[in-house]
Amino acid sequence: MYETNSMILVMIRTAIIFVVLLIIMRLMGKRQIGEMQPFELVITLLIAELACIPMADASIPLLYGIISVVTIFILHEIMTLLDLKLKPLKSLISGKPSVVVNKNGIDDYQLKKNNLDVSDLIESLRSAGYFSLDCVDYALYESNGTFSALPKQDYDSMQTSLPLVIVDNGKFDENNLAITGLERGFFEELLEQQGVRKTKRVLVLTADGTGKCYLQQKGEKFRTFKAEYPGGKTW
Amino acid sequence: MVKSLTAIGVAALLLLGAALFEWGFVGTQFREYGEELHSLYRKADGGDANVEDAKAVQASWERRKKNLHIWIPHNDISRMDDYMSETVRLIGEGEIPLALAKLEILIHLTQCLPDTYKPGIENIF
Repeated sequence: MYETNSMILVMIRTAIIFVVLLIIMRLMGKRQIGEMQPFELVITLLIAELACIPMADASIPLLYGIISVVTIFILHEIMTLLDLKLKPLKSLISGKPSVVVNKNGIDDYQLKKNNLDVSDLIESLRSAGYFSLDCVDYALYESNGTFSALPKQDYDSMQTSLPLVIVDNGKFDENNLAITGLERGFFEELLEQQGVRKTKRVLVLTADGTGKCYLQQKGEKFRTFKAEYPGGKTW
Repeated sequence: MVKSLTAIGVAALLLLGAALFEWGFVGTQFREYGEELHSLYRKADGGDANVEDAKAVQASWERRKKNLHIWIPHNDISRMDDYMSETVRLIGEGEIPLALAKLEILIHLTQCLPDTYKPGIENIF
């Protein structure tokens, strides 16, 4: 009747929340992570709350906060050990790097798996200093969410003008169309010339001010081609 | 590796030690206080309880709760405080049937409160 143990209760509850948060973080993909392993992010999220609540709420014994924080510390140490010593568990706990650009172009499956889209990829590429999709051979999101890219040898010469995304996942980007000053019909015609019957099939179409276009249809290899803009337009 | 394992071991031992202490300490406090309440209940039921008896049980609770505050939520202690104070007043005023009702609640609390800290499924979730 008097077999009470609130400390064990707090420890079990902390461990359950930790595991649930870790699973959720892993499922959310790399978008949610920034330079931390998923389990480190979970710990960062939890530890502040665990320390703050008993500190601010006088009705909860401070000991509950201390127990939770020490439990988190133990879990962190166990996770770190598993991460270092057991390779199969490492990928389960921390995830694996995702190669999102390879020699065939963008890997749409890997992007979707990490809850990312083409515009996220282009943003990451720009942040890494690569403005054109065809100037990298490989690009990947590391397990901690950071972005790495392997550029082509002469990538600098490929970046002469800012490429704009004209079609992103089957949809025209009206803002970028306005920047180019070109009609949607022009690009539809351009796609037809490239053998694309439906815009829906286009994963990405970019065009830069010199007329260089990058086209990739869903499930196909990318191609680049040169277009002539009406009236010698450029940007 | 050795450092991590040592840290895990030390932290786990600390938690385990504290948990074992709590297991014994909190349980004992509630069990002993429950027995005191039972004794007061029997006296009150037999018409022998006076305000001094009630105050003695209250003083015992006051001593126990100082340490219990470290281990259990303070709101739970506050509930016991309220019923104990009412019991003392009711016994002092000779309102024995009402005092017995309050004592029954207190006895029930000494039994059910520790249950809420048990590491069972119902308390975890």
